[in-house]
Amino acid sequence: MASSSLTKPQMCGLLSHHFHIVRAFIVSLGDATFYMFAVAEPRKKAYAYFYRNYDSIKDFEEMRKASMFQSAR
Amino acid sequence: MAYPMQLGFQDATSPIMEELLHFHDHTLMIVFLISSLVLYIIALMLTTKLTHVSTMDAQEVETIWTIMPAIILITIALPSLRILYMMDEINNPSLTVKTMGHQWYWSYEYTDYEDLTFDSYMIPTSELKPGELRLLEVDNRVVLPMEMTIRMLISSEDVLHSWAVPSLGLKTDAIPGR
Repeated sequence: MASSSLTKPQMCGLLSHHFHIVRAFIVSLGDATFYMFAVAEPRKKAYAYFYRNYDSIKDFEEMRKASMFQSAR
Repeated sequence: MAYPMQLGFQDATSPIMEELLHFHDHTLMIVFLISSLVLYIIALMLTTKLTHVSTMDAQEVETIWTIMPAIILITIALPSLRILYMMDEINNPSLTVKTMGHQWYWSYEYTDYEDLTFDSYMIPTSELKPGELRLLEVDNRVVLPMEMTIRMLISSEDVLHSWAVPSLGLKTDAIPGR
């Protein structure tokens, strides 16, 4: 009887190959990095930009002229 | 101030509140990292029929999931403590204002130079003029100088109240007798 050789099936590591833990870490680090660059860094830049040339007295005078204050007309 | 469909904090108008905003971003980033990792692992676990039948111990993974949370907690604690100590900075206030909580209004006392006391009642929604802010407008507003350190002494005449200005990052409970 002729016997043909079959390729040996994968015997070990089936669950660990399914459980791509490295891919899981990469996805979660990617999420965190995305949040940092989409939300956290723009917020820091927005505050730095706002306060770079902020004149509080000018702001106060504009609010006073717009009658926003009760005690400073 | 608050605005419709708001998800996060109000815009910061004091340095401490700015620090708190950035700290919140830092901590939320860590929360997303952990949550997405856990969700991904749950999804992987639910999409296989394979089972590990020869598990005897799990020394490696147990070491990792002890050390990594400790590192994450330290990463959260260090900026948190920095802001905590920043909030306790001793400075010399230029003005002292006392506020007493009542049911249901605040009274303010400016006694540094003269005796000035007034009550501050919320304007009911039915009496608001166009353009006024619901639940925020009062008849006599508390007036504070800008860009100065102010000492607020907060107490209550009856029950527990709480005095807060979210955009300055302030909130203190008004406790009767304290």
